[in-house]
Amino acid sequence: MSDITVIGMLAENWGSIIGIILGGLCIAVGVHFVPVGGAPAAMAQATGIGTGTVQLAAGSGLTGLLAAGYMYMTLAGVSEASISDVVLISATGAVGAMIMITVTMLVGNWVYIYGVGVPPASAKKDYDPITGDSQAPYVAPGTVGQGIPTVCFVSGAIGGLLGGLGGSLVYCMLMWVNGDPAISSIFAIGVFLVNAVLPSYNIQGTIEGFHDPKFKRVPKAILACFIASLLCGIVAVMIPGIPALGGA
Amino acid sequence: MEPAMGMGLVALMGAAATVAGCSEDLESDIGSQSNPNSQVQLAAQVGYPHRIFNKAISGEPPSNAMICAAGAGVAAMLMASTDVSPLIAIAIGAFVGALLDGIYSVTSYIGRSTSQKRFNQYVYLDVLRNQVLSLMGHAYITTFCIVLISYVMTYVMVDPITGLGGHPFPFPVIALIWGLCVGAIGSSTGDVHYGAEREFQDFKFGSGLNAADSGNITRFAEAGIRSSIDNAWFCSKFGGPATGIAFGMVVFLDNWRSTVFAHVINGWGAVIAGLTIVLVLALYNRKLETYARKKYGPFPEYAGDIEA
Repeated sequence: MSDITVIGMLAENWGSIIGIILGGLCIAVGVHFVPVGGAPAAMAQATGIGTGTVQLAAGSGLTGLLAAGYMYMTLAGVSEASISDVVLISATGAVGAMIMITVTMLVGNWVYIYGVGVPPASAKKDYDPITGDSQAPYVAPGTVGQGIPTVCFVSGAIGGLLGGLGGSLVYCMLMWVNGDPAISSIFAIGVFLVNAVLPSYNIQGTIEGFHDPKFKRVPKAILACFIASLLCGIVAVMIPGIPALGGA
Repeated sequence: MEPAMGMGLVALMGAAATVAGCSEDLESDIGSQSNPNSQVQLAAQVGYPHRIFNKAISGEPPSNAMICAAGAGVAAMLMASTDVSPLIAIAIGAFVGALLDGIYSVTSYIGRSTSQKRFNQYVYLDVLRNQVLSLMGHAYITTFCIVLISYVMTYVMVDPITGLGGHPFPFPVIALIWGLCVGAIGSSTGDVHYGAEREFQDFKFGSGLNAADSGNITRFAEAGIRSSIDNAWFCSKFGGPATGIAFGMVVFLDNWRSTVFAHVINGWGAVIAGLTIVLVLALYNRKLETYARKKYGPFPEYAGDIEA
């Protein structure tokens, strides 16, 4: 077994650090796209999905990670995946996350429409930017909208795509470093949560999607998540994993 | 493994996921976990003390992730160190998960209620006795199904073409991810039925909930004072099954496209199939939105100017 030094590992794995940063930024931007209404949405008092930012982003992104992990094993086993394989694995993860979030939004709308009896409407725009439907007359009095109108649905699907893409990319980069799915998956979950929690300070509980004024705060999240992902990346590449140490 | 066998396993996972989603949502309804908890917590503070179970261990995703990962960890340890059958190991793991849920529920209920003594909100020991067991029962079903899905993914599923076996992630990590996912879905779908409809049944159906009415939850049941078991009865008619369908769809559709299309167009088949599913769901959602707008129409109180 050759000597393992900190500088040596950083120099050897700089590509993975860049990949982890890119993945982290995808997650950070993706979180802003996910229409979450927090507790008010669970009482049909705000537009969006009635849960927390981090929870929904993590739920969808990590579902994508499962699909990506399976695809990685199918394509490359535990050896280093090629760049084209990484693209395919990340795309698989992104689509997995999209499926989870779109199903959640659709069934959420079932509950709003059939269970609560309110039509989906956004209070941030007078007209839906995608369909052009008027929104204000359909917003229940005393609330800031309810349900998931088309613009929020599309935004949520984009958020799932970016979240799943980022999580899968981080996983692939970690597999390049240590070749150990166990360590890589756990660390990918950690990096995902770091990059989902930081943007939620921007969102402050509720955001409707890319048409929400809060979306303009994305650059701040990008800066914060760049620094956090860089630190995560530096720590991650120094964890060699069992195969790199010459073990089983 | 035969492709038909693989499809059978995917169907089995989808069925187990449907049960898990339903029981997870009903568990959170009985305990008033997650976002609707804010109203139960607020009710006593605005002058409406009640006999609804009040637990908010954490958001649903982390708490379900915890009990599922603990259950899978116990099952994995039993399978590795003894010759017990996987089914028994999973059952014991799920029991440990349910015990954890029970411990947190009891401490959470007592802690939250005692902190509201000044608002005349008491700790009702009969509420505690009656409802903790049904909480644990539902948590057991959820954990059992999730650990079962994770077991199938880890140890049973084999790629029909490459012959590679199982998912590369460790068994408890898969259970953790599915636990997180079922919690996120339950919190986003079924809980809305409890939070927006069942908690505010005194208000006209479809009227929306004015923010000024927050905390004014319905405290009297069809007969007598409302308990959390009544809430589970109501939510089991729609919110619970809807959550089950959502989680079942996620597990089934995601695994189905990964299993069937994994080797079509060098793997891109799975991506294209997934995108097609997303597109179909988006179109259906649009149809649903149009239906709701036409069916319910604008709110009569709409005066022309509503500030966002």
